[in-house]
Amino acid sequence: MDHAQSALHLDRVSRRLGGRLIVEDLDLSLARGSVLGLLGVNGAGKSTTLRMVAGLLAPSAGHVRVGGIDIHAEPAIGRREIGYLPEEPPLYGELTVDEYLDFCARLHGLAGSDARGHVDRAIERCELGTMRKRLCGLLSKGFRQRVGIAQAIVHEPALIVLDEPASGLDPVQAMRLRELIASLRASHAVILSTHVLSDVLACCNEVAILHRGRLRHSGSLSALDSAGATRVRVERLLAPSDWLALAPVAEASAIDANTWRIVVREGETTGTLAAAVSERGFGLRELRADKSALEEIFVSIAAENGAIGAAA
Amino acid sequence: MSTILLLARNDLHRQFVQPLAWGLLALTCALFAWQFLVALDAFLQIAPKLGALADAPGVTELVAIPLLRNASGLLLLLVPLLTMHSIAGERRAHTLPLLLAAGIGSTRIVIGKYLAALGVVMLVLMLAVLMPLSLEIGTGLDLGRLGAATLGVLLLAAALTAIGIACSAWTSHPALAALATLVTGTLLALLDMGARVRGVDYALVNWLAVSTHLDPFLRGVIASVDVIYFLLVIVFALALAARRLDTIRTRG
Repeated sequence: MDHAQSALHLDRVSRRLGGRLIVEDLDLSLARGSVLGLLGVNGAGKSTTLRMVAGLLAPSAGHVRVGGIDIHAEPAIGRREIGYLPEEPPLYGELTVDEYLDFCARLHGLAGSDARGHVDRAIERCELGTMRKRLCGLLSKGFRQRVGIAQAIVHEPALIVLDEPASGLDPVQAMRLRELIASLRASHAVILSTHVLSDVLACCNEVAILHRGRLRHSGSLSALDSAGATRVRVERLLAPSDWLALAPVAEASAIDANTWRIVVREGETTGTLAAAVSERGFGLRELRADKSALEEIFVSIAAENGAIGAAA
Repeated sequence: MSTILLLARNDLHRQFVQPLAWGLLALTCALFAWQFLVALDAFLQIAPKLGALADAPGVTELVAIPLLRNASGLLLLLVPLLTMHSIAGERRAHTLPLLLAAGIGSTRIVIGKYLAALGVVMLVLMLAVLMPLSLEIGTGLDLGRLGAATLGVLLLAAALTAIGIACSAWTSHPALAALATLVTGTLLALLDMGARVRGVDYALVNWLAVSTHLDPFLRGVIASVDVIYFLLVIVFALALAARRLDTIRTRG
């Protein structure tokens, strides 16, 4: 990726806090149209990284560039190009959603009818229409997060930074929030931190795993998928030999009586696998990428210091 | 400049959608009115005797100036309550990142917060000044002296408000910020009390005390040294607050 053109580029970024190295030599790039999940157990350095990306915390070494410009050398750029949602949404409880978003829009340099237009659009995108006259202090946790995201996108920044956006939400709220985040990908670059694997799988197309302040893995989820296995559910009860008789299949292991984890041969695709399964009359009921590849990587990294208990 | 005014307007708006500002305004207004009426009643009782005296004190000296002097004392209690949430409240409610991430400089944030708090304090003082000023309808006031005294109390209010903002920036607990403002204000007010009792009037400790610089205004004397004193306190306190925000920004 051309770093000058990337929405975000972290160039050997380090940060010391209280004499401890919290983030060390971090190199990351993110293009507009991507959602990067910054994964790590608690204390991995995710929030510190995001605070540096948002311009809240200066790096001890290295550069954070947004659109090719060092945001700590030119902080005014933060007003235009970065939208930030901290772990705790920064809401003024005394203001209505409408008043609050109007203030946020003006804070980022928008004015008059332009600000109103941006507020209306943010409210529409975050589905806050019925809440616009409600005091922020009276909103449920799910809507507080939505208003938090609305304030981060109200000025249409190139980069949106979300710190643990789904933390503390119930499953339905979390699912709707993930859908909202995935939809932001169309017009922004998004970086979000989480320690929940399912958040990354649901709304990210890229992943970076931080552990003890160091970047331990980064890449696209699709690359992981293609390198990983396929989960297949069939009607018939089969033996591994039935699967290995199929031309595209390299490995087959049972998950339960009807569900199998299949690794296809090099050059084969899930399409050819599906065709072979149908042709043999296995009774194909479901076929999807097995996401366990990311889980395996994450677990193996997190287990290094016995911190796996914190990961979900 | 527009960002400073935006921050000030937002803070003012938030102050007045909560009961605290209205309650404080109502309470101080009632207190001023009571003091004003008591002083006016006392003046009316002795007014016939004053007529017989040559160079007798007028209504400005006996009603308006004491009211403003009391107002200056009340500011020591009022300002901490009005400034305690300015920055400490933002930190406590986790809303400060919103301002910091928007790329707004620390000085602008501090000045915006200062102007908002000062707006409320000025409103309170305006109510206090309007009461004696209403006497102009029925009698003659020494407007020059009243103006000088008002300017002095306004400068004191501006200095105390700046101290309040500085204290609010140094802690994330509004109550602690209020206490620090109260202690600092009281210390400045009483700093040279002991020295005066001992007859020391022109030492550094006297110069540092608020009363040394407020009294000339209340006597109708506007001296540049007194104006500079209050301006120095304002600049120093606001610079401290901005410095603190810079530290929060760089150290987290």
